[in-house]
Amino acid sequence: MAVTMEVDGGDHKPPLETLEPPPEQNGHDEAHSRSPPPPEVKQGVASTALSPPPPPDSSAQTPAPIPELKHVGPYKPNYKPHLILSGHSRSLSSIKFSPDGTMLASCAADKLIKLWDAETGDIIKTFEGHTEGISDVAWSANGEFLASASDDKTVRLWSLENFAVLKVLHGHTNFVFCVNFSPSSKLLASGGFDESVRVWDVARGKTLKTLPAHSDPVTAVTFNHDGTLIGSCSMDGLIRLWDTESGQCLKTLADDDNPICSHIKFTPNSRFILASTQDSTVRLWNTQTSKCVKTYTGHTNRTYCIFTDFAPGRKHIVSGSEDMKIYLWDLQTREIVQVLEGHRDVVIAVASHPTRRMIASAAMEKDLTIRLWIDQPMEG
Amino acid sequence: MNRAVANLFTSPYPTAIQTSLDSYASIARYDPSGRFIVAGRVDGIAIVWDLDTKGPVRTCEGHVKGITSVECVAISSCGLLWSHNSRYVLTSSKDWNVIVWDLASDSEPPRRRSTIRFDVPVVFASFHPKNSKIILVLLSSGEVYIVDQRKEYKGRYELIEALDESDDEGQYNRSRSAPTAARFDPSGKHVFVGTTLGTLLVFNTRTKTMIARHKIAGAGIIRGLEFVASGRRIVTNSSDRVLRQFNLPVYAPPNADGEYIEQELEPTHRFHDPISKVSWHAMSYSPDGEWLAGGAADDAAHKIYIWDLAREGLLASTLDGGRELLTYVHWHPHKPSIASVTNLGNIFIWHCPTDERWGAFAGGFEEVDENVEYEEREDEFDIEDEAEIARRKMLEEEEDVDIESGVEEVNGTADHTRQNGENDEDILWALEEPDDDMKGWELKVIMDEEDGV
Repeated sequence: MAVTMEVDGGDHKPPLETLEPPPEQNGHDEAHSRSPPPPEVKQGVASTALSPPPPPDSSAQTPAPIPELKHVGPYKPNYKPHLILSGHSRSLSSIKFSPDGTMLASCAADKLIKLWDAETGDIIKTFEGHTEGISDVAWSANGEFLASASDDKTVRLWSLENFAVLKVLHGHTNFVFCVNFSPSSKLLASGGFDESVRVWDVARGKTLKTLPAHSDPVTAVTFNHDGTLIGSCSMDGLIRLWDTESGQCLKTLADDDNPICSHIKFTPNSRFILASTQDSTVRLWNTQTSKCVKTYTGHTNRTYCIFTDFAPGRKHIVSGSEDMKIYLWDLQTREIVQVLEGHRDVVIAVASHPTRRMIASAAMEKDLTIRLWIDQPMEG
Repeated sequence: MNRAVANLFTSPYPTAIQTSLDSYASIARYDPSGRFIVAGRVDGIAIVWDLDTKGPVRTCEGHVKGITSVECVAISSCGLLWSHNSRYVLTSSKDWNVIVWDLASDSEPPRRRSTIRFDVPVVFASFHPKNSKIILVLLSSGEVYIVDQRKEYKGRYELIEALDESDDEGQYNRSRSAPTAARFDPSGKHVFVGTTLGTLLVFNTRTKTMIARHKIAGAGIIRGLEFVASGRRIVTNSSDRVLRQFNLPVYAPPNADGEYIEQELEPTHRFHDPISKVSWHAMSYSPDGEWLAGGAADDAAHKIYIWDLAREGLLASTLDGGRELLTYVHWHPHKPSIASVTNLGNIFIWHCPTDERWGAFAGGFEEVDENVEYEEREDEFDIEDEAEIARRKMLEEEEDVDIESGVEEVNGTADHTRQNGENDEDILWALEEPDDDMKGWELKVIMDEEDGV
């Protein structure tokens, strides 16, 4: 898996140290692009390819809406495998649920974006257009657009009305690595290997601002809940907060030894920011006091930019891991409450369903599957 | 939100031009949420600008061009208003029409909710603050109408000044008075009408009866009225080139006999330029009512005067916007930001610039304005056991965090109704058959087709 971003660009995660590409990788790549894509398969996890689908009355297939929890003491989640979705032919890089939770978007190094039915796991649509691997995909808050960030140095905007490319945003001078919409869906922020963050006018497809954000590739960029702040993080180990309107840097959050920052996400009220770093740690920063208030450890993250999210119900933190597992921590106590196993390669991305107790996870080259997990509260 | 992160100090009023929107505008107003500006043009087109992207998002083409070459059709001054959650835009024009546009429609230009036709040019129109189905209209012929589009009350009701019949001389004088300005007060309970005789008439919106007449000594023709957000104060612009601020009395509900208060109001402040004796095109209160911006009808420069009402109405600042003359001014609904329109049709957005804080780029550093003698703590450089540090860190992290609450209302114009009392007959009347101007509504992003893929 030691490949450079040049060759295996959509491959989300730049290796920490070695950037030496194996010489045969190029040929391999070529072969891949020419060979027809493998058939897209969807299978229930409990059943093999030949066995009949699981009975519909199985509670595993009907995810319950998030109930009000009246447990005494911290609630322990009990996520179980629900569906395995396969379709991508190269390493996955990002997955995101649509704002209404009916669909899941995935993107991969195979230059494709796929749209899945979150209920049945069927493929709804495959978007083709990027000429290099894709590192990130994002939904607009109104669910009308998708944006994708690619190593072809462009961001593409896709319509979900007619599944067509609406705009190709040119401006980045190197791989685009991360992308997110503002809550109003009017603005788009993207970051990449040119070390800048660009803010785009969605309707006109033009750059509004270029923020001189970092001194290394930007690994994540995101808006806060009301769109007044932009957060960015980078391989330089810094997390920066920007004023959306003026484009000015408001503050920088930094740890003492600057581990590469993989991913950031604002809490729903924007008072904190959840940051995962490549010292195998997830931290919760208070944006006002610039202090780290929670530390979550136990997983492995040393090489790739792994996604972290608040689990459904917002009482837990969920993260992928390089030991092929998914970790869930209690938000407050910081204890590991569940570890999900099943993937056969690095779990690069996780996503939380917006309304139900469902988690999606995606793994890299040796696995190529997306798995959906559903919380089944234990009796008693 | 960003204020909480950075503890920025900002001036309570804007000081510099941030952007200029090239709009051919003659008038521009913020929407109540402060996300948009709608610009009315002299050719009858209204353009909705998005302030996040500084780009035009909707073009409302509906008012027709004039037939005569002399008077081109214009969206009349002050004739643009937003309903309280910004879904509808009202434009009034010298082409005799008032149009209500529905921005929630996906089409471009937006769907018209209704077109109200009159037989003379419309000088001004505005929505009732609580219900966009009630519209106040001032015609150039000097008639004031309340147009009610609700099924139960459907109709046009003219507001007619009550005259004191016993006083012959008074009647003679007053019969010549014509309305020149009209406004709903922020609660929507009353309509205030300024006249050519320098009187301020107060009507009850529900009963359409006059409940008060205020004489303003020395004012001449009333040209404009603006309310502070609380509705307790009003500022008038009049032909004597003075802006006057008044504290308003509390009006009793109208009684059956049609009695009204006859009272002279004494201004709390008079704002004018004693040297240049400039007249005023428009004025606007700051959101907290502590500041007043006046747009000067200066014939050489674009000037906005800012007065500090907390300090006896002292002139705090004069904003100079260059050579393009000012025609209109409007304060942002909740920020220290002002939109002013020039005679060339540009909209200047004024803001408070903040200097780039380079210290923000370095984590853990704080900028100081002058040298500070640093006092080292006794134990600052003591070597501590790492395990001890880790243990203390763990203890600190025991504290619960709240990641969900404290999300402030995005739309600043939350329920006024509750505050103003559920039992008020006038408010309840206005809330009957509510419009569908729902909260949390978002303008659909329409892609610019021209420079697409």
